[in-house]
Amino acid sequence: MININIDLYTPVERAMRALSELNVDFYDVVAVYSKSIEVSIFGRGIKEASSKVDVGLGVRAFKNKGLGVAYTQSLDESDVRETVKRAVKYAQVAQPDPYFKGIPGPSKAQKVPGLCDGEVIELTLEDASRISRNMIDACESIRRGGVYRGGFQAKHLMFHLSTSTGVDIDDEKTIVSAYIQPVYREDDDVGSSYEFDYGVRLSSIDPYIIGQKAAKKAIEQFGSKKIKSETLPLILLPEVSSTLFMSLLSALSGERAVKGRTFASNLLGKQVAPENLEIIDDGTIPRAVASSTYDGEGVPRRPVKVIEASVVLTFLHNSYSAGIMNVESTGHAVRDGYKGYVDAGPSNVRVKPGDSTLNEIIHETRKGILIVNASISPNIVSGELSTTVDEGFLIEGGEKSFPVKNLMVGGHILEILRGIDLVSKEGRVFGGGHFFPAIRIREAKISGE
Amino acid sequence: MIENLLEFIVERGLSLGASFCETRYFEERINSIVVENGIAKAMSSGVLKGIGIRVIINGRWGFSSTNLMDKEEAEKALRDAISGAKSITAEAGEEAKIAAVKPSKDSVAHNMRIDPEEVDPEIKVRRVLELEKPVREFSDRVKDILVNYRDVITRVFVHNSFGTLVDETTPRTIVTCKVIAKEGDLMQSGYEVSGSIAGYELIEDMNPEDFSIRAARRAVSLLSAKAPPRGKFSVVVDPKVGGLFVHEAIGHNSEGDFVYSGQSIIANKVGQKIASDLVTVIDDPTMHGYGGFIYDHEGVRAKPHVIIKDGVLVGFLHSLETAAKLGGVPEGSARAQSHHYPPLVRMSNIYLTPRDMTLEEILEGINYGIYLSGSEYGYVETEKGQFTCKVEEAWLIERGELTEHLRDVAISSLILEALRNISAVGRDLRLEMPGMCGKSGQSMYVDGGAPHFRIDGIVVGGRR
Repeated sequence: MININIDLYTPVERAMRALSELNVDFYDVVAVYSKSIEVSIFGRGIKEASSKVDVGLGVRAFKNKGLGVAYTQSLDESDVRETVKRAVKYAQVAQPDPYFKGIPGPSKAQKVPGLCDGEVIELTLEDASRISRNMIDACESIRRGGVYRGGFQAKHLMFHLSTSTGVDIDDEKTIVSAYIQPVYREDDDVGSSYEFDYGVRLSSIDPYIIGQKAAKKAIEQFGSKKIKSETLPLILLPEVSSTLFMSLLSALSGERAVKGRTFASNLLGKQVAPENLEIIDDGTIPRAVASSTYDGEGVPRRPVKVIEASVVLTFLHNSYSAGIMNVESTGHAVRDGYKGYVDAGPSNVRVKPGDSTLNEIIHETRKGILIVNASISPNIVSGELSTTVDEGFLIEGGEKSFPVKNLMVGGHILEILRGIDLVSKEGRVFGGGHFFPAIRIREAKISGE
Repeated sequence: MIENLLEFIVERGLSLGASFCETRYFEERINSIVVENGIAKAMSSGVLKGIGIRVIINGRWGFSSTNLMDKEEAEKALRDAISGAKSITAEAGEEAKIAAVKPSKDSVAHNMRIDPEEVDPEIKVRRVLELEKPVREFSDRVKDILVNYRDVITRVFVHNSFGTLVDETTPRTIVTCKVIAKEGDLMQSGYEVSGSIAGYELIEDMNPEDFSIRAARRAVSLLSAKAPPRGKFSVVVDPKVGGLFVHEAIGHNSEGDFVYSGQSIIANKVGQKIASDLVTVIDDPTMHGYGGFIYDHEGVRAKPHVIIKDGVLVGFLHSLETAAKLGGVPEGSARAQSHHYPPLVRMSNIYLTPRDMTLEEILEGINYGIYLSGSEYGYVETEKGQFTCKVEEAWLIERGELTEHLRDVAISSLILEALRNISAVGRDLRLEMPGMCGKSGQSMYVDGGAPHFRIDGIVVGGRR
């Protein structure tokens, strides 16, 4: 991946200068550059090699508490000028938002180390091709004759933010991600699954292990059966518990949380699970994809204990939601690249491990469902859940019995959280920062035959 | 000037050894308004533009894209695409093949009565607020009203080494309304969407009764709805859920790329009966729906595609590549989200054709079942043949009548079982599912619909 010498400073500075002359109350300008390479896997093997250069500039302008946003994929002087004009014009038309109190000023922060890997920047498409091939070879080492979907991507991002309140920051990051989904057939039976990994550094992922895991999981899905509707314990592997915990933290984030629009809006100070649930959000973890020195508004990242002893301690704020509650931003502003709007959301989410091993949890379950792949993400307003078990096993007599199909889980997320009775001591790290253990839910309603 | 750049790239690509070269200019101008509880608090305007280049070298695909639009950067992107294809030449995998087509040369723009770019933003804000205002007086249980307006003008200009040179401009306008209702600790939401290939006239022609009030009515009434029962039921789906079902269960499985790569459950079933006699499914980009177009993003003139006829699988959706690999004819089903992505096989406006029953006749004979209304989201595992659809609301069917109101309902089934179990199809076809479909990291404009119809033996993910 050739490192292009792109100048983000000049267009940002031009936009800032133009904005300073246009009588708006607050403004910020962000410019983002990324270069990525990808080798995709499809069907019988490698299908396509691609590269992408994306660059853009976004402007937020506030006038009388109304917000105008404009963005462009061109850094040419005339396009930047035009983008500024559109943002200002829209800010003048937008109506006053009574909750808006301003944008953050500058703060000093200690740089989070290890977010950019020179080895990733130097990667070539030939390297990417070898990594994709490695995943396929790993699958074939377990079982030959599969068809595949997946690929390997490497990305290098640069970011520059400047605000009317004095924030002037840069950031740079590399991300690598690899994914493979093998499909095997035996007559009318299908064995299919997937595995993935991602990180900041090339050394953080092992394509051969990803491929082997995916193939083993796929083969285990042969012979899946339907089962009857029942009320049973659920064991969620880390890949699935992550969807549950990320949904909870998303519902505790930003204006949707503080404006009472999520199932979690009234949970501050309340116990949401049995005693030992502890969740920390930490955007300062070195070498983690979700880390950064500053959030999307230039507020320093810091570790935030969100849940302790199962009690919700705080929401995750950007400056807007923090302003509504008259508290400080927790440094969780999220920007959609250069496309202007700023939301709030979690960074690296770490759930405290428990005391049991996953094997012990399975052995202690007389009958239940082990869920390998599903999204336990409820309706964010009501908290109610009705979802399919995409991959799972029936547990009988403390052991995995057979894979299940056409099975659904229903419930309310708060019932599911209250039903957590076992948490595994081992878990999985995602993106070098998130940590999720496996968990057992005492009972849940299963819909089948 | 764009035409010259595209022609330069294709010529240069061929001279550098490509057996096929395609370049696509993409431009999208987007304006949006965010209204929250009577205040148009934010407005946004974006311009996206750039080029995507695809080549075949040594029988392999290379692709690259850039927003940097001068000749030098474009040539750099071309060289990236070429070196991409060369980088995988030695690797085993899918050979790049394409069906040769007669070149098209055309410049087309979809009709719109009012160009949204010409409308004063203040007028747009006033109109969005008019649609939102009646909800504020609808019920004291309405907690929040969130309306989003968005107009998009998309230009796609394709040139390839067959000599195709097609320039198409499409306006789309879409308005969504989400109403949150609250009673005690209980919250429910109602959602409505109206979108089409249209200019600003779309919102001028709307009225709150069919839009925001409908969302409010649903949110408030769901407060007293019950959790659904669980297990296997006969279900009757409305045109929105029916559209979602057809899209997830049949549409994705008929996409030629999933078919040739062995990832579709219906890959080897052409000519076989895979559904009940009542099932005819058509994907029609030429219809006036949110997913319509005249030429696809490979510059192929779009035609309607019959996928299932009277229960028999008759065809798949094709790109140039899948037509070559499966022996089909490309009829315009390849589209890309933007210049940053290569075209994929995509649905457009997909629907189940109508038969002759009324809703009452369909419900008749169901002793205990579930009526499903409003599509929220869905997904499918094509290789396994299992789909999931989340719906907005539902009712129990008891002795042929709709009785108890139900909320937060999703259904799941094995596709081939569900297709065989369609036992009644209505006459009231409507396409009213404008939205975006995600596939392989790309998002694309689609629409879908159906008349009311009945499916037996569907798993409902209930909570009692």
